[in-house]
Amino acid sequence: MQEPVAGDVSTALPSFPSQASLAADSYCIQRIIAEDPEWSLAIVPQLTELCLQHIIRNFEKNPIMDHLLPEHQRKVLDKLSTGLPLTVTANLIHDEDYWKRCCTQHWQVCDVSNYGDSWKRMFFERHLENILKSFIPNITDPNQVLELIPLCKEYVWKLEVDQFLPPVKLDQKEEEDDFSDSGRDFGLSEVSMHHYDLGVLITALPHLEQLNLTYGVKDCGMNFEWNLFNFTHQDCYNLAVALKKCHNLKIFKLTRSKVDDDKARLLIQNLLDHPCLMELNLSHNLIGDKGACAVGKLINHSKLEILDMCNNQIRHLGAQALAQALANNSTLTSLNLRLNCVEDEGGQAIGRALLTNTTLKSIHLGSNELSEPTATLFSQVLAQNSALTSINFSCNHIGLDGGKQLLEGLMDNKILTEFDLRLAEVGQESEYLINQILQANQERARL
Amino acid sequence: MRRGAGAEAAAALPGRRRRGPDPALIDPGPEERIAARRRRIAARLDAKCREALGEDAEAKTAEEEEKEQRGSHKQIEESRQRLAKLLFDGTQLVTNIQVAVDSRETQRRAEEAELKLQRVERLENEAKTNACKFETITSKWALAKEKTIPQELWELLNQQQQQCTLLLEEKNKLIGELQQELRSKDEQYVHALKKQSDDIHLLLERMEEQIRNMLKNYRHELLQIEKAFELERQELLDDNKKKWEEAIQAHNAQELEDLAARMKKVEEFEKQLNQLQVQGVEEYNSMKSQLENNVQTLEKQLQQIKAIYQLNQEKLEYNLQVLKKQDEENIIIKSQQKRKLNRLHDVLNNLRRKLTKQEKQHREENQSLAADYERIVGQCKELQRMMRHFAVSDTEKFMEVWLMNEEEAKGLIRRAFDADRIIHTQQLGLPWEEPRYWFLNNVGPLRHYKAKRTATKLAAEVLTESSCGGQEEEGKEKGKEEMASGEGGRENPEKADDRVTPLQNISKKTVKRILELVSDESGFLIESKLLRLLQPLGKHERTLMKLDSIFTALEIDSEDDLYQLVDFFLKYKAQEVAVSQSQAAPHGQEGPASEDPADLAADTADDGASSQRTELTSSRSSLDSLPSVYVHADDILKILKAFVRDFDKLRGQDDSSKDLLQGQDSSKDGEYWNALAHAIPESKLKLWDALMVALEKYHNVLAQRASLITEVAVLQQQNSELCLLLDQYVTSSVNQELLSPPVQWMDLELPGPEEAQ
Repeated sequence: MQEPVAGDVSTALPSFPSQASLAADSYCIQRIIAEDPEWSLAIVPQLTELCLQHIIRNFEKNPIMDHLLPEHQRKVLDKLSTGLPLTVTANLIHDEDYWKRCCTQHWQVCDVSNYGDSWKRMFFERHLENILKSFIPNITDPNQVLELIPLCKEYVWKLEVDQFLPPVKLDQKEEEDDFSDSGRDFGLSEVSMHHYDLGVLITALPHLEQLNLTYGVKDCGMNFEWNLFNFTHQDCYNLAVALKKCHNLKIFKLTRSKVDDDKARLLIQNLLDHPCLMELNLSHNLIGDKGACAVGKLINHSKLEILDMCNNQIRHLGAQALAQALANNSTLTSLNLRLNCVEDEGGQAIGRALLTNTTLKSIHLGSNELSEPTATLFSQVLAQNSALTSINFSCNHIGLDGGKQLLEGLMDNKILTEFDLRLAEVGQESEYLINQILQANQERARL
Repeated sequence: MRRGAGAEAAAALPGRRRRGPDPALIDPGPEERIAARRRRIAARLDAKCREALGEDAEAKTAEEEEKEQRGSHKQIEESRQRLAKLLFDGTQLVTNIQVAVDSRETQRRAEEAELKLQRVERLENEAKTNACKFETITSKWALAKEKTIPQELWELLNQQQQQCTLLLEEKNKLIGELQQELRSKDEQYVHALKKQSDDIHLLLERMEEQIRNMLKNYRHELLQIEKAFELERQELLDDNKKKWEEAIQAHNAQELEDLAARMKKVEEFEKQLNQLQVQGVEEYNSMKSQLENNVQTLEKQLQQIKAIYQLNQEKLEYNLQVLKKQDEENIIIKSQQKRKLNRLHDVLNNLRRKLTKQEKQHREENQSLAADYERIVGQCKELQRMMRHFAVSDTEKFMEVWLMNEEEAKGLIRRAFDADRIIHTQQLGLPWEEPRYWFLNNVGPLRHYKAKRTATKLAAEVLTESSCGGQEEEGKEKGKEEMASGEGGRENPEKADDRVTPLQNISKKTVKRILELVSDESGFLIESKLLRLLQPLGKHERTLMKLDSIFTALEIDSEDDLYQLVDFFLKYKAQEVAVSQSQAAPHGQEGPASEDPADLAADTADDGASSQRTELTSSRSSLDSLPSVYVHADDILKILKAFVRDFDKLRGQDDSSKDLLQGQDSSKDGEYWNALAHAIPESKLKLWDALMVALEKYHNVLAQRASLITEVAVLQQQNSELCLLLDQYVTSSVNQELLSPPVQWMDLELPGPEEAQ
């Protein structure tokens, strides 16, 4: 209240000697201000403020960002609506706070550490994933994805799609046909059964490094039908061709997708000599011995370091092929064959391969119907190999004697830090002693 | 059905079994946990014990403190290990579920595979048996066709029907069993789902418990560690405090000791000070008296010095004034001098500048003059050359003109003489005598005839004269010479003198002697052929010929040269004699060293000829008297060498002078030409005049006569012609025709042309 009055007085003072009426006027103004009920302290907002508001309001039509001063940019970004079309914001706004707001508005759980601590990346990756998850072939407009490509291609490094919707059935008979494998050969049904072809999208993303795919339907509930989970040959072919063009890919996971030997071979054929691929995960599929042979070939024709083949149908032949590849390999560090049926023949082959291999650090042979012969060979491996740090023999039938042999082999080993023998019928005594040795090794490793 | 039930039971059993291991799996968890707790309690107790021990040990040495410090590390290590174990156990606990599920799954798979095998086997058996039955049925159909009796057929058909129903029943039973199996499987599936959800719940629980547990443990361990650290810190603090107090106490004791020592020292110093004061007072008194005495004497001295000082002051003031005045003067002089110096410097600078300028000018002038000089010298040389050339050409022209005129004159004279002779002999009939004039024999311009004489001639003369030994010859010669000189008029009398003097002064004998010696000694100059030719000749002629060849070799052409040679010989000898006379005592020997005097003599002859000449002339009398034998034959060669060396120079000088002199002797020419003009004397001319008058008269008479003779001849011719005409007329035919021929009446007899002729 006082400040404007003082201002008025100060302005009135110089003119006071000339005219007396002005003084009266100033008095009137003062009085009026004091009695004006609508008068408030808030000063008229600054022009810059008004301009910024205008910019914010019309950002969609006329996005101005780079020409603003940093402080003004800050203000604009704080007040911009998260509902603005991506065509406007995608390549213009790099501010993390804005994208954080977008993310929190779209999703409840947001762990930015999984996205390289970049909210923008998180937003675009999850946005793209959502679109792909809800994409229904022949119904959804493919342009929906294609339009997004130029906007998001700079910001997508990882793609994690755990649902691909199949095309909607028109005829119940086709469905029945599709149920059997023979029905796939019919053109119509095959066309209708294919999932979305990732080829166009993947090849257009220059930074794509990780690709996690699951060809299946989530939360189907009582609408369950087998053909909802059909990874067709054409899908596999499309994916394989796309993968070959994706040169920066480092991690590829294709799980729970009914990948059988033929599809695995097709995929791996296209992944041979890939320049970057480091991790391959084909767990929870239907890969048999032939697929395992192909994987064995891939091991020595790529830079693969981590291979996960758990819960497949690999038997001793496939294990032998993998073991043969492993014997000559110098890149692979981790191999997971959990829940297969390798049996003693395969286990022994892998053991023999590990006698020469010097890079593999971790091997998982849990639930593979192994028994004493494998244990005897592995005791030899434990005595000789100097690279293995982790072995998992859980859920096998090693037996008491096998446990003792393993213990003997482990006596001189100073490297191994993890050795899982739970439910392997080893006997508590050997298990305890083995654990003692492992603890000592862990201490040594820690030091 | 039994089998199906068995299978069901078998399927159920594993479920129970499966449930079995689960608690067993869970059991180790609590056990482990208890064990862990126990361990933890033990560790804590240990820690407490250690702490107690530490408390006991606190008062002990520093080493134990260090140990205690290690103890804190130990605490960390232990808690870390404990936590690691806990973590390991916890993860084991959590993963146990997965492992259990895995094992269950493998078991299930194994059982499934077994069941599948059984089922397949059973189905195959079923199919086989049924196929057998079916075959029997079908085989019976054939029998049925054979049956014709209806009852049998009916029976058979009934049987068939029964069998078929049996077959169907069996099949249906199988289907029912399978369906039941399926139902049980569905139930199993539901069970499995339930189990899975239970497992998941368990997993979650365990995970949460694990998390809680871990958090608790971590907090606990953290507390423990902090406690250990605090304890340690406390210990350290106490320890340090104790140390500090001890140090303070020690310090205080030290301070007290120091204070006592200081007090003692102060007392000592006081005593010393008193002593020193007493001593000082005594010393001061003695010193005072001494000094007073000194002051008195010094005051006296001071007064004296003051008096001297006043005197000196006055003197010095006077001197000062004088010096000041001098100084002023000096200053004035100095300024003057300075001014002068400046002025002089200016002058010096000006002069230097002028000097440099002048030097430059002079150098330039010098250069230009030198250039001029060179140019002029060149011109002069050119001029001289031209002059010499012109002189030569002039002389040549002169010679030619002279010769031409002389010839003409002589031709005229000869014609005159011829005419005179003709006149004398033919006209006058007198005997004619040809006049002999000296100039008629002269050809070319006039010269001194002595020069014309060659050296050889002179030598011959000399030799012959000497051989004759007649003084008349000498006299003749002299007369000749005089005559020549008289004839030559006064042509360079100096030369004549010069030429004559050697001959006059040097006796013929000596000359002859010298020449003979030369001819004998320098035989090497003569060609060997000539020598051979000379062998038969007489001695006189031989010497002459030899001399001739020697002179040609030595290029001695003229008389002068010969005289010079002789003169040179004489001079040399005189020199030698003088040297031998003066240096006879020091130099006994003469030989190779004699060349030097010879050279000397040559030099002196060149340079100071006049002075030498006077000396020589003065000594000639003695030289003449000296016998010629003194010239040793060995010296001749040296003398000749020296002569040849100097001869060229002498000759060069002579030639140039001679050439120049010769151009000027034209004074006698006029006389010569006059004499030529008057070759015919006056008397003869008069005679010729008279003779010419007479002859002219005679000529006139003769001319008249001649004209008359011609007239006669003309008249004779006319006459003969007339005779001819007349004859023609007489003899012509017309006359006969005429009545009266003129011949008849003319009786004329003309003389014939032969007569006329």
